[in-house]
Amino acid sequence: MNMSADQVQQHVMTYLEVTECQIIEKSPFHVTVKLSPQADKQLTNRPYYWGFVERTGVDPETLSYTFVFDPERYTVVDVPPAPVPEGTPQDSILSRYFGVAPVVPRIGPGRIQREDVNYGSRRLQQIWDVARQEGSYVYLFEQPGDLQRRALFSAAYEPWLAVCFKVEMTCDVKKEQLHFMGISLLTGVITDDFRELLVGKNLSPRLPENVHINPAELSITKAAEHLQSHLTSMLSQLDYTWADQAQERLKDELTIIDAYYENMMNDPEEEKNDLIREQYDRRRSEMTWQYEPKVNVSAITCGLFHLRPIQ
Amino acid sequence: MDTPFIEHMTTTQSLPVPLVIDQSWLENLESRLDKGGPWGDWRLFQLAVQGEESRLVTSFDELLCVKYIQDLTPLPHQIDTARKVLFEMSGRAILADEVGLGKTIEAGLILKEYIIRGLVSKVLILVPASLVLQWVRELNSKFGILAVAQKKAYSWSSDIVVASIDTAKRDPHKDILLDQEYDMLIIDEAHKLKNKKTSNYQFIQKLRKKYCLLLTATPVQNDLGELFNLITLLKPGQLGKQGEFSSNFVVDKRIAKNEGQLKDELSKVMIRNRRGEGPTIFTKRTVRNVNLQLSPEEQALYDGVTSYVKDQYQAAGGNLSSMLSLVTLQREVCSSRDAVFVTLVNLTKKMAEDSPQRAKIWDLVYMIKEIKANTKAEKTIELIREMNEKVIVFTEYRATQEYLLQYFRANDISCVPYRGGMNRGKKDWMMDLFRGRVQVMIATEAGGEGINLQFCHNMINFDLPWNPMRVEQRIGRIHRLGQKNDVKIYNLSTTGTIEEHILNLLHEKINMFEMVIGGLDVILERFEKKGSLEKSLYKIVLESQSDEEIRQKVNSLGQSLDEVKRQVEDEVVREEEA
Repeated sequence: MNMSADQVQQHVMTYLEVTECQIIEKSPFHVTVKLSPQADKQLTNRPYYWGFVERTGVDPETLSYTFVFDPERYTVVDVPPAPVPEGTPQDSILSRYFGVAPVVPRIGPGRIQREDVNYGSRRLQQIWDVARQEGSYVYLFEQPGDLQRRALFSAAYEPWLAVCFKVEMTCDVKKEQLHFMGISLLTGVITDDFRELLVGKNLSPRLPENVHINPAELSITKAAEHLQSHLTSMLSQLDYTWADQAQERLKDELTIIDAYYENMMNDPEEEKNDLIREQYDRRRSEMTWQYEPKVNVSAITCGLFHLRPIQ
Repeated sequence: MDTPFIEHMTTTQSLPVPLVIDQSWLENLESRLDKGGPWGDWRLFQLAVQGEESRLVTSFDELLCVKYIQDLTPLPHQIDTARKVLFEMSGRAILADEVGLGKTIEAGLILKEYIIRGLVSKVLILVPASLVLQWVRELNSKFGILAVAQKKAYSWSSDIVVASIDTAKRDPHKDILLDQEYDMLIIDEAHKLKNKKTSNYQFIQKLRKKYCLLLTATPVQNDLGELFNLITLLKPGQLGKQGEFSSNFVVDKRIAKNEGQLKDELSKVMIRNRRGEGPTIFTKRTVRNVNLQLSPEEQALYDGVTSYVKDQYQAAGGNLSSMLSLVTLQREVCSSRDAVFVTLVNLTKKMAEDSPQRAKIWDLVYMIKEIKANTKAEKTIELIREMNEKVIVFTEYRATQEYLLQYFRANDISCVPYRGGMNRGKKDWMMDLFRGRVQVMIATEAGGEGINLQFCHNMINFDLPWNPMRVEQRIGRIHRLGQKNDVKIYNLSTTGTIEEHILNLLHEKINMFEMVIGGLDVILERFEKKGSLEKSLYKIVLESQSDEEIRQKVNSLGQSLDEVKRQVEDEVVREEEA
């Protein structure tokens, strides 16, 4: 997987819009933005500053950034000078005493920090992580069309539990899969590609007018159990050659270790033996830790979706 | 929560491997349902899923890290090495490239890949104390890996820590580390762990680690038993048991038998890239020795100092150690009058007020006053103007450096100083200036970290260190990966002085200026088992009665160096043929 500068920009812009940051300037290659308090707290790692703001009740001064997505085509000349913070005295103490004052690079509020953002940058990883923290659990309703709003009878919506599972297949190497699946709390029907179900739908956190929700037949707990056992049966269909190979490697390594230590623990001195046994056990457990194949499943995001029933 | 959840699915659909399902999402969801929120934004939900998709590890064995690294383009052999360690050697290996091929880069690539894949988060990197900050900087700037230098005991709680092994093995740190489990352990300069009886070795052996990289440039040359010990840290038993190893592979401690088989076994745990292999990544070196005749005034001073040194040596009854600083005087005359002057002044400070020595030294100072020009400095300016390119000038002496700065500036040549005593910020600043519009850098220090001057390919040795490693370090500043031009080295030497003998030894006898990088440390290490080369030279200079005697003794020193060199070269050839 790799991402173009456009895609990276899209991801960053989505985040900035959701967190209501103030976009100062934008081109296909960059964006200059003054962060909202929410985004500042999530991105700039300034807990002490925000602690201070909250305790004293002063107006927060958030940081500004120029995120550059295509450094080769972005030219600095186009950028307006950083806004001078209001209330800065025009003649500084230094210049009053010495006639001239050295030009000090401006730090703190008003300075715009430039940062190149691309697929590998920590900033993008951070934005994804924050998105996951903030957006993991949702409760949403499909927006009905105009027709439904004016209809005589209220529409009955179907509740779904949807989970995006991450599957990690690990031994000394690793591979991952994502499964975004959903289960109808009404019928128990499971769909392996829940996103397909959402194509073309508008979702909103508010219950729309003229819509009611059919009561669930399945409890959340039961539904979760169904989803997980469905996922498990999908996983059991996969090819596990990788795991067999890892077991094989583990066996080979253990054979080498066993042979190496075999006669070393017959030392007449008990103390020496203990030391070597300790070494041997440690080495064996390291091997198992390194090679033993396993599958871990966790949820990236999940939520309840209330959708118009499929016709 | 009504039912306990099944951790291991033991149904008919059960998997051939252990399956663990993290249930925390359900608890969190239910608690939100109870409280009516808080609920996340749908756009962030989608962004989180897209983010996860974008960095999903979709294959067991595709190298992902290169896409994550912007400010560095790894060389093909570095990528091959990373791939091999990750996907064929299961993350336990000795990286034994010859000096200058970028072992640190290889280790960085491997570490980055494991971090991206989520296989490694807790990392311990043990390096010599002088390299701690360099490692931290490189990991941060080149690989975007947030490593911290260990400072206090609490530093150990960071995920990725770089520390010196001597600190790590001491209390209270030792117990903290032994209680940890490290996803990855990296040890730089690992050849220092060759002796299994040392506390360093035993400490490393006790650390719990999943993946492990040992970095060393000189793993084999000096002792096969040491190599065995190194591999035992990594994968005990890989070369069989100690006894078996000796009888299967060792004839003499330096000579291996069954070399083909040994090479096969080694290749499972060790990667050694050589300069000669693959596309040439190093440019050529050309060396020009510039022989100069001292002016009559300079020659008079040299002779004066030489006889003063001889007298003193005799008076001290041939006690070598106290005389070393006197030989320095002789060397300094060959550099600049400023350097001699400073040393002379310091000498008188240590003398009693009424010491008869003072008069002798004052005589020398009067001779200094007679000197109006510096022959070498004049020649240096001529060379700099001739090449009309960036050039780095190395001198051993601070006073010479000051003099040259002032002399060059008076002659409208832009120049900056560089020395060991400068703090990091100033060093970086000087390098930036030199990279920019400044033509000449005058440096007293070549060792240490971080002077990478690939953008410059001319070097003038205004005077020479007597330790060949330091000469090699000087050259290594400009002749390294990334140098695009052939490197030109100018050695200034004054006829009829000890300088001439030293240059003769280094250039004619061991041909070190044209030697491939990396061979020298092995040769010196072995040679110096008999005593330091520098000390031997001092001794020769002090004890010899005539110039001719010096010449002969330096010659025989050169011969024994040459023998060691041939020996090492033979071994390398055999290693390659095996």
